[in-house]
Amino acid sequence: MVDSPSSAPYVELHCHSAYSFLDGASLPEELVRAAGDLGHTALALTDHNSVSGSMELAQAAADHGVRAIHGAEIDVLACPAAEDPTGREGRRHLTLLVSDERGWRNLCRIITLAHAHTRELSARREASEPWVDLQSVTGHAEGLVCLTGCARWGVREEPAAGRLLAAFGPENLYVELQRPYTRGDRARNRALAALARRLGVRCVASGDVHAHAHERAELQDAFVALRHHATLDASEPLRRGNHSHVMSTPRAMASRFADHPEAVRETVLLAERLRFDLGRDLGYRYPGAEDGQASRRLGELCGARLVERYGPGPGRSSSPERSPAALAQARARLEEELAVIGRLGLAGFFLLHHDMLQLAREVALEVRGPDSVRAMLAPGRGRGSSVSSLVCYLTGLSHIDPIAGGLALGRFLHEDLHGLPDIDLDFPRDIRERLIPRVHERYGHDRAALVAAFPTFRSRGAIRELGKVLGLPAGEIERLARGADSYGPSYERDIAGMAERTRAGGGQPGAEEGPPARASERWRWLARLVEQAYGLPRHLSQHPGGMIVSTRPLIDCCPVVPAAMEGRQMVQWDKDSCADAGFLKIDLLGLGMLSAVERCVEEIARVRGERIDLSRIPFDDPTTFRAIRAADTVGVFQIESRAQMQSLLRTRPMNLEDLTIQVAIVRPGPIQGGAINPYIERRSRLREDPSFQIPYEHPALEPVLRETLGTIIFQDQVMQVAEAFAGFSPGEADGLRRAMSRKRPGEMLVRQRERFIEGAMRHCGAQRQSAERVWKMVEGFAGFGFPKAHSAAFGLLAYQSTWLRVHYGPEFLCSLLNEQPMGFYAPDSLVHEAQSKSPDARIPVLPLDVNASEVQCTVQDAGVRLGLAYVKEVPAAEAQALVAERLSGGPYRSLGDLASRAGARRLTLEQLAWSGACDSLIGAGADRPVGERDRRSALWQLGLAVPARAEGQGTQLALALEPAQAPALRPLSRWEKLIADYSTSGVTPGDHAMAILRPRLTVSRLATSAQLARLPSGGEVAVAGLVIARQRPGTANGTMFLLFEDEFGTINLIVPEAVYERHRNLARTEPLLLARGRLERHRERGLTDARRAREARRDSQQAPEEVRPVINVLVRELAPLERYLAGGLEQPGQREGAEVAELPGQAAEVGSSMRAVAPPIQSFASGRRR
Amino acid sequence: MEPPCPAHALPAAAPARALNPPRPARVLWGEGRPAQVNGEAVSGLRESWLVEDRWWTAEPLRRRYWELVGEAGRNLVVFHDLCSGCWFVQGP
Repeated sequence: MVDSPSSAPYVELHCHSAYSFLDGASLPEELVRAAGDLGHTALALTDHNSVSGSMELAQAAADHGVRAIHGAEIDVLACPAAEDPTGREGRRHLTLLVSDERGWRNLCRIITLAHAHTRELSARREASEPWVDLQSVTGHAEGLVCLTGCARWGVREEPAAGRLLAAFGPENLYVELQRPYTRGDRARNRALAALARRLGVRCVASGDVHAHAHERAELQDAFVALRHHATLDASEPLRRGNHSHVMSTPRAMASRFADHPEAVRETVLLAERLRFDLGRDLGYRYPGAEDGQASRRLGELCGARLVERYGPGPGRSSSPERSPAALAQARARLEEELAVIGRLGLAGFFLLHHDMLQLAREVALEVRGPDSVRAMLAPGRGRGSSVSSLVCYLTGLSHIDPIAGGLALGRFLHEDLHGLPDIDLDFPRDIRERLIPRVHERYGHDRAALVAAFPTFRSRGAIRELGKVLGLPAGEIERLARGADSYGPSYERDIAGMAERTRAGGGQPGAEEGPPARASERWRWLARLVEQAYGLPRHLSQHPGGMIVSTRPLIDCCPVVPAAMEGRQMVQWDKDSCADAGFLKIDLLGLGMLSAVERCVEEIARVRGERIDLSRIPFDDPTTFRAIRAADTVGVFQIESRAQMQSLLRTRPMNLEDLTIQVAIVRPGPIQGGAINPYIERRSRLREDPSFQIPYEHPALEPVLRETLGTIIFQDQVMQVAEAFAGFSPGEADGLRRAMSRKRPGEMLVRQRERFIEGAMRHCGAQRQSAERVWKMVEGFAGFGFPKAHSAAFGLLAYQSTWLRVHYGPEFLCSLLNEQPMGFYAPDSLVHEAQSKSPDARIPVLPLDVNASEVQCTVQDAGVRLGLAYVKEVPAAEAQALVAERLSGGPYRSLGDLASRAGARRLTLEQLAWSGACDSLIGAGADRPVGERDRRSALWQLGLAVPARAEGQGTQLALALEPAQAPALRPLSRWEKLIADYSTSGVTPGDHAMAILRPRLTVSRLATSAQLARLPSGGEVAVAGLVIARQRPGTANGTMFLLFEDEFGTINLIVPEAVYERHRNLARTEPLLLARGRLERHRERGLTDARRAREARRDSQQAPEEVRPVINVLVRELAPLERYLAGGLEQPGQREGAEVAELPGQAAEVGSSMRAVAPPIQSFASGRRR
Repeated sequence: MEPPCPAHALPAAAPARALNPPRPARVLWGEGRPAQVNGEAVSGLRESWLVEDRWWTAEPLRRRYWELVGEAGRNLVVFHDLCSGCWFVQGP
């Protein structure tokens, strides 16, 4: 390494990265790269009360020829005073730098102390500022060097400086001089130099860097304003006032301190002493790592299970894999795995996981209760790489038999393993919630912690926050944010374009074609700042379920800070940093579908008395696979999305192996790697002609890509290709996988590329061009791909959930409705799909009813009754009380009876009435049928029956008086009822919006979803619907996909980029749309007559399978639906005597009323929202 | 000696009347600092600072300030407008 004192005149010892959160505008990697380019030989990272960026710095530093120095800037209550009880005035900053291992330990402890109290306030979700008292610093001085802190907040008081001197000694305490080019610099530095002389310590210069380059300087100013919840215009005194916080060359820094040359020299001398290397051993060990008996114990455990599982046990059902040959094969595999595990010294690690699973079993038993049908289900299941191991299978960590499944060991275990393998476990949500605190208890609060995660600035959030800082109008910012793309590098254009339109059009949909106005200076800055902020960490958060456990206190390795949830704490490092530190990570993830299938199994037991063991259902059920091939999969795991459904119609899965590929294929990895179309195409060719030869790029690829027809679909195939084609060792191949799965692969991937291409030419004599093409396929995976083992676990769950959907439709729908939010479809779409099925499969969805609904949705009379939990603003306790009272005291007889017995607040009762849950109670003896009694009257009557608010100290109970009859109120129209349903519960079991609107639409060639299958392909068509999904994946080159729902089903729309740009606001925000375009229908070739006959024979009891076509509308034009509603909407109601308008008088009200209440839907990559 | 800047090169006037607005100055550059301001020799340097601000507006501010001691012993504050390249004297 090139860091002799002579090579640079200055070393930067005070530098903030974006991990100082809103006080630093560059990533550690950017800083260290800039430092290398500018000629620095070493760089210290000193973020505020944090070492979150340290591991990134250490990793990147090696690549840029810069030595990483570690430290932090700590908030210290250095000058406590009686007249300052909050300590705010007495807080100072100290710059602490690590010189050796003891110093790192002490720094971690100091930072842990600084954060210990940050979640003590009542509002735990919002962390307060971290700080420590001076004693905590002086008590942990060993191995640390202390600088007196920055120009604005450093220690200048002699008493505090004296205490620091006593603790650190004259060798390790420095007075810090900075020159931020503010008024008073020279006087301050003269005074500080005098202080140093009095104390008898040296001065050292520092630059207080906050940005790696000038283009980030403005962002730092914006961050300061944001941190203080102020605008740029109002935060002038808070920021630095100039851009001298940008990193500069060592020479320029030396001349900046021309008055204090000795302080400049001191930076180099001090840096020489700071030799702590974070890449070296931190002393971390996982529990069990040092257990000498571990290998033996693991061998015994697995040996016993092996015989149970594969041996010819007495009285057990004889399955095909229970042959002596299978047992021998399994034993050989086990011995191979145990030998590798023994050599790697990982036996303790497997025992730890086994232990963890036992803990999960105990928790599951507590959560589920011993008698529940759920007790038959395993408490969790493995995903990811762990499932390809026989040891995992035998210790209960995975439920996939790796021998039957043909899963390779490669990724999980190989002999030149660098880090520890990850083990991922999926749990139903309720079990996971209880398990995490139990793990803390089991391994000790100082020895177990969650992994951190850093949410980054994305364009939406950045537009909102930075727009506010720039003082732009809130309404326009919000519109801009909602319309902004959440992917891709086109923010500048997006913001500039949107800003122009926002300024031109007055906020009405359809007004967006106005003339472009010149975007003002501030808008242009917004575009630039958003682009600069993109991808920077915004704050510290917790990883969904990653945990670290250790044999020694974790705070000796990394600071541990309290998490937002009670009883949880986390390390300051994210998953990449933890992996680089060699920490063992255990992922305990909550999977909504596991919870849903458990609920479903319970509901089936309750309703039908059947006990279902999902591990023993038939895995080749023809009806289930038929449903999958027909894309009849709404609500099931993984294969339910718009893209998956269209793909299912083309890949036509026949078995679990096909499903394993199916769940992996609609992922960014295979899509970017260009796998999806060749795979579908080759599958279709093979169906037509079983002798079709798969074209492989190189013969060496055939063995590893055979099952995926020459394409790379699984992550393991990346490694297998690297080994078979480029001659990588398993360890090198794993290095490639790790490089690809990082948040920012960057330069690591560039180096891998060279090795790969050269390896391919050397190892199997491939042509450079051919090697480059294969690399392209490999590189595509940098996006994201599943390992095969993970796909197998997910494919199985996809099958199980489809099986439940096919055979136990009402119970399955019910469990989905109760486990929200989950999956691709909103509850409203799930309900509509159930209602629009063919008559024999239709599932009735029964409306809310205070006399029939439970708190949760339940299966009643082969239909699903909505639960009271769906009504917004109704506290769970009140819903429970209402149901309990009905069970003990009998049905509610009237609204007055409900008001007096249910004990609910007025708001609850009003919401219930407005949601329709009280319809059955209105006007006892009324002559109208139940469904048409009116909610307005219910509200009126409740208004009389319930006291306005709680009186005095207690709540006055309503008297059981029968309220007077309501006056003749106009009943709700169908449309008003729909809006009321959406506004109170987000679900309507009644008429579909399109069913109400369609008779009033005046559109030529308007087709319903049901008619599209019969209209000529290629023809012009108009379609209308409620938008239930909007997607614009980064892999689609600007194309947007919309999913419409009407009263008969769904319609897929493809919106080309030009059309999207023209109608962007409409496409992104309007719930009711009309689209014109070309109908495209594609029926999968394939199924030769012979094959079809074979299939028909196999499912002999069923009719030959119809091949459903893929149908899309290629959109040319979009418009708000309300524009096409016929005028004169006032129509007499169908019922005699009552003047009921079906729709509001003004067509525009249709759109605006719907916009206000439309249920949140799948919207781009960020989950569901309105 | 740099020529004094014309008055119209001044930053746009604020809506309210500002006290002591900056006036164009003739500055002779010396050893890393101004040596002469409007003919008065500079005998010492007190402070020097940099203002780079209001970059988000149509009138960004980029000035290098010098607080100097004149020959006569009085304080002089001058700034170099880095956008226009002109010198101004600030203060009474």
